[in-house]
Amino acid sequence: FSSVFQSITGKANLEKTDLGPALKALKERLMTKNVAEEIAEKLCESVEASLEGKKLSSFTRISSTVQAAMEDALVRILTPRRSIDILRDVNAAKEQRRPYVVVFVGVNGVGKSTNLAKVAYWLQQHKVSVMMAACDTFRAGAVEQLRTHARRLQIPIYEKGYAKDPAAVAKEAIKVATDNGSDVVLVDTAGRMQDNEPLMRALSNLINGNQPDLVLFVGEALVGNDAVDQLSKFNQKLSDLSTSGNPRLIDGILLTKFDTIDDKVGAALSMVYISGSPVMFVGCGQSYTDLKKLNVKAIVKTLLK
Amino acid sequence: MVLAELGGRITRAIQQMSNVTIIDEKALNECLNEITRALLQSDVSFPLVKEMQTNIKKIVNLEDLAAGHNKRRIIEQAIFSELCKMLDPGKPAFAPKKAKPSIVMFVGLQGAGKTTTCTKYAYYHQKKGYKPALVCADTFRAGAFDQLKQNATKAKIPFYGSYTESDPVKIAVEGVDRFKKENCDLIIVDTSGRHKQEASLFEEMRQVAEATKPDLVIFVMDSSIGQAAFDQAQAFKQSVAVGAVIITKMDGHAKGGGALSAVAATKSPVIFIGTGEHMDEFEVFDVKPFVSRLLGMGDWSGFVDK
Ligand SMILES: Nc1nc2c(ncn2[C@@H]2O[C@H](COP(=O)(O)OP(=O)(O)OP(=O)(O)O)[C@@H](O)[C@H]2O)c(=O)[nH]1
Ligand SMILES: Nc1nc2c(ncn2[C@@H]2O[C@H](COP(=O)(O)OP(=O)(O)OP(=O)(O)O)[C@@H](O)[C@H]2O)c(=O)[nH]1
Ligand SMILES: [Mg+2]
Ligand SMILES: [Mg+2]
Repeated sequence: FSSVFQSITGKANLEKTDLGPALKALKERLMTKNVAEEIAEKLCESVEASLEGKKLSSFTRISSTVQAAMEDALVRILTPRRSIDILRDVNAAKEQRRPYVVVFVGVNGVGKSTNLAKVAYWLQQHKVSVMMAACDTFRAGAVEQLRTHARRLQIPIYEKGYAKDPAAVAKEAIKVATDNGSDVVLVDTAGRMQDNEPLMRALSNLINGNQPDLVLFVGEALVGNDAVDQLSKFNQKLSDLSTSGNPRLIDGILLTKFDTIDDKVGAALSMVYISGSPVMFVGCGQSYTDLKKLNVKAIVKTLLK
Repeated sequence: MVLAELGGRITRAIQQMSNVTIIDEKALNECLNEITRALLQSDVSFPLVKEMQTNIKKIVNLEDLAAGHNKRRIIEQAIFSELCKMLDPGKPAFAPKKAKPSIVMFVGLQGAGKTTTCTKYAYYHQKKGYKPALVCADTFRAGAFDQLKQNATKAKIPFYGSYTESDPVKIAVEGVDRFKKENCDLIIVDTSGRHKQEASLFEEMRQVAEATKPDLVIFVMDSSIGQAAFDQAQAFKQSVAVGAVIITKMDGHAKGGGALSAVAATKSPVIFIGTGEHMDEFEVFDVKPFVSRLLGMGDWSGFVDK
């Protein structure tokens, strides 16, 4: 094992065999932090490719060289390529005299409805007027749940009870919001498994029929390897099942339950890596104020610790 | 169910190993590495996987194996029994008896599926001739009582809860007392979601348990959970007497390895799995047939009940 820490100062170029043990240790560390196996593997491969054949500068250990390369890779992946400024975009929509529409999507029980309420509260703090649309017309208690949040936050809610077509409810809600001059409509949807074709088709209808400004994927920080499958299938199904020529995909991620995972922060990395979408909000508790921005530096530091 | 995929990979790894003529250290290591990878991709907790690897190596100990022994068979058996050991804590869970009041309390992380599963559990027993009842001791989550009420109404199961009372202990006690008087033999108490990082939530759970004295505490866990599973499950076990586990959302794509970790952490058996959002999407769970199926059956059946 000591070879991992051995200094190989003076040795010419780094070879695969030199890197192997350090990379294996690093992959294991990432997996204990709840990074999906597939993602940890891919990351290590790319770090290996970037280092192979390079000269090791004097007095550095292989392990720290590998760690530094991984740190660079992680920062690069987690730093959003496209930045979305919701408040700016809300204003732009307002100038066009239409509401800015956000749809919350994700698998069952991850925190869509609760975090929709937190986003509503955050918008209120920025003097933005909000309306909620109760488009989970399936799960028992879903409408009352959203109604409770709307009442507590004193926000209008558009609801049509259960067993209604959610795409139609969303359409009506957006129309009402346009008429009454609301700045933002937050659309709650039912949780669904990414493999459930009929439910994914219904979601695709809701999204393509209403062309929201932002499709927010809600994923919980607790999720393990399934994170990869959830994100890739939501995107894939939204694309495959769409009847429009230019299907809408996931725009951003809302990562929830960040307060329940201690240092096992890997789901954030798995989700961003596989989707290429930025984490726009982090849910870290069950009250309205528990919504934060992702701290990339802190995540990278925790992953490598 | 995607757990079968895991079984397939393990079976393939063993087959590959037996294709080589001499099973030496290298062949065994390759096989174990492949199995390790399959388990990690299924979210089994990292320390558990390492432990299992060490245990199998210990059991198999190639050098000690006298020539002539069927090495492949010994390795297979070691893997089978390690997986069973992980899923089977060796003691059965409490089973409610008809006409004698039993109290069952559901606990777990936020959004795991407790409320949905409470109704499934009640409905399952109702069909078997029990007289179940549901108590909503979740006074925290918005819409919690409506959710339980709508589910219970649909299943025609009596329920108790309140829109105004904020003390879960008080509601739990009132509900349990009422249904005892009404001669219900299976009184199910649903509680709020909680997590170990918030001590006050765990204290509340402890108080509900102390006040209602449940015969069984069921820990509900989402099949998609990753490496946080073990620590959370263990913390629940340390606060209340968890006696059984139910794994939900097995209709999804997740391989459910976090579940194995939860069993290891709570030392309690999995009794049911949830396979959908509807009331009847609920299956009894049995370890040995499950592991046999996991590993592709056939050969494995010979190990069952040893
Ligand atoms: N600890 C913690 N709990 C959260 C967080 N966000 C949501 N929750 C809890 O997670 C549970 C499920 O939240 P919901 O908002 O109902 O989830 P959902 O995705 O809308 O669920 P479905 O609509 O049934 O699919 C609730 O108990 C929430 O209070 C968070 O950031 N931290
Ligand atoms: N697909 C699927 N969904 C499930 C299953 N079990 C529960 N759900 C869904 O998961 C979500 C959360 O379920 P709940 O029963 O509200 O979870 P909970 O643990 O009571 O949540 P809290 O009370 O907020 O902690 C809901 O959308 C349920 O319909 C299952 O076996 N399969
Ligand atoms: Mg919801
Ligand atoms: Mg509940």
